[in-house]
Amino acid sequence: MLYVSAQSNSSSVLKGSPVRKLSPYELGGLILGLLLFCMPFVVTFPGLSPAGHRIFSIFLLAIVLWVTEAIPLFATAAVIIFLEILMISDKSLLPQISGFSAPKFSVFYNALAHPVLMLFLGGFFLADGAAKFQLDRNLARVLLKPFGTSPKYIMLGLMLITAMFSMFMSNTATTATMMAVIIPVLATLPVQDRMRTGLALCIPIAANIGGIGTPVGTPPNAIALGALSKAGPQYSISFVKWMVMAIPCMVVILFFAWVLLTLMFRSGAKEIRPQIDSKFDKSLPAYVFYITFAATILLWLTEPLHHVKSTIVGFLPVVVLLSTRVFTTKELHAVQWHVLWLVAGGIALGTGVSASGLDAWMIGLISWGDMSPAMIAAILCLAALMMGSVISHSATANLLVPIGMTLAISLQMNPVKAAVFIAIGSSLAMPLPISTPPNAIAYSTGAVKTKDMAITGVIIGVFGWALFTLVAPHLWNLMGVHLGTVTP
Amino acid sequence: MNRVVILCVEDESEVREAIVRDLDTFAEVFRIEEAEDAADAKQVMADCVKDGDAVGLVLCDHLLPGEKGVDFLVELNEQPETHSIRKVLVTGQAGLEDTIKAVNDAGLDHYIAKPWKIDELHEVVKEQLTDFVLKTSANLLPYVPVLDGTRLMEAIAHGGRTE
Repeated sequence: MLYVSAQSNSSSVLKGSPVRKLSPYELGGLILGLLLFCMPFVVTFPGLSPAGHRIFSIFLLAIVLWVTEAIPLFATAAVIIFLEILMISDKSLLPQISGFSAPKFSVFYNALAHPVLMLFLGGFFLADGAAKFQLDRNLARVLLKPFGTSPKYIMLGLMLITAMFSMFMSNTATTATMMAVIIPVLATLPVQDRMRTGLALCIPIAANIGGIGTPVGTPPNAIALGALSKAGPQYSISFVKWMVMAIPCMVVILFFAWVLLTLMFRSGAKEIRPQIDSKFDKSLPAYVFYITFAATILLWLTEPLHHVKSTIVGFLPVVVLLSTRVFTTKELHAVQWHVLWLVAGGIALGTGVSASGLDAWMIGLISWGDMSPAMIAAILCLAALMMGSVISHSATANLLVPIGMTLAISLQMNPVKAAVFIAIGSSLAMPLPISTPPNAIAYSTGAVKTKDMAITGVIIGVFGWALFTLVAPHLWNLMGVHLGTVTP
Repeated sequence: MNRVVILCVEDESEVREAIVRDLDTFAEVFRIEEAEDAADAKQVMADCVKDGDAVGLVLCDHLLPGEKGVDFLVELNEQPETHSIRKVLVTGQAGLEDTIKAVNDAGLDHYIAKPWKIDELHEVVKEQLTDFVLKTSANLLPYVPVLDGTRLMEAIAHGGRTE
């Protein structure tokens, strides 16, 4: 039978794991990446150490692969770790460089189990449990009620709930969860009603902004924290400290976004009624989860009282949920390990870049001396905002954080500002469907045009950037937040 | 990019055209193919495979010249390569015995009685294709506007992507 024999060739299509051909763009990225990788072997850059040349190769390759996504983002992270071991560790295949104390090869593997990743893993367990027991939907149902039926206030309610969820869950999962609530509402509105666009757009915007709120909100925050913890104990930021630094401005940006959306997308409908049908799960495993969830968050928030690090508390839900069999191998396998690996790649890259002196050399290429620290902080944040608009937010943070922090330290500026502003800048990057998965999800509904996304994304991004770089440092001073003393 | 194919098997050309016309809302995202009997359907399926597309849904009449619709569906169900295709009978004349066979041996997913209502057809096609892409597609976003967006979003929420 003709069709059966022919079909068997494409059984992979049915199973959903087709061996995909590289697009010309991806192929171009791969070739360019390899060429740039080879360049530092051939060209000698004055002032750059031999070890710096090697890590420069890896750094250039990482930039091209993360920008073009010729291979998956997390694969690039694995490539970085592997190449660092092969090229600059004490077990390097290349000859050891005299005068350079090569890091132990295990240092690079350690990035895969960096404490910040354990914090994130805890966050994943909480988020996955919330989805499993429908805690997110139930909370959304209860919390949305007080906002009535006026489209304007429903939108505000949706945005506040989305932002709150995305502080603890991934921006992508939050967006998809809330979009599942919104899609039936969109279907009831006439196609020409601009409120459809407003509703579909408010979710990813709120999710992106909400990610700024806590260390576990989005991977760039983890990348910033990971780099800071390596820079020195005085720069490490507790869970609460991050929230205190981030949330006031975050809330202002969120309200600003709401006002902007209500002005741009006026509704023809008098009322809308989102239906969320779910019941609180009252099974024993659900209760175990609720208690674990509450305990973990409470411990994160009370770190100043008990001094147990958030990265240690992060492992609590892992231990409890696995031991009580609330989570089985199924949930353990469903953890988004690739996100953790992507962050690990950034941490490993940062280790290599600073160990080899590549960062100092790159910073030395530009004369920064006549710029004020505030201006440099603003430039770093803007760079993250622009880069994050076109490439992955995590990749942006992975590439910018190590350089930004070294720049800060070399200029006697506080590296905390550099790292935090880069993380926040990348979270504020949301003008295009490709900027971030939440945007892609909103765009997929067909209710949002790229133009609408671009206008709102640019306005909110620039407003957030200005607010954080101009107002936040003063606010931190007023609130008595200390960023640690800079040691040259 | 690989497309998912909706295959409509119906011997009466007017009826076939009417079904395909009613499937118009899906044409933006899915490839819609027609066949007049089982043999023709196999040929069409082979062509789809050649193009790198995968058949996701077969809407099949029962009373066809040559191989009967239900027997064709049983065949699809038994082949591992075509097992996951969603199978829907669109017929007015399947007897009890054939219907039992369709349910038990063909893994029939739905039965639409002729004359069909367009809303019912849309609903069935939407749900069946949603089931299919949830099982087979790595990227669900292209299907959100035409399929069951709520279910697709819930699936994305449970297996999100890298930010």
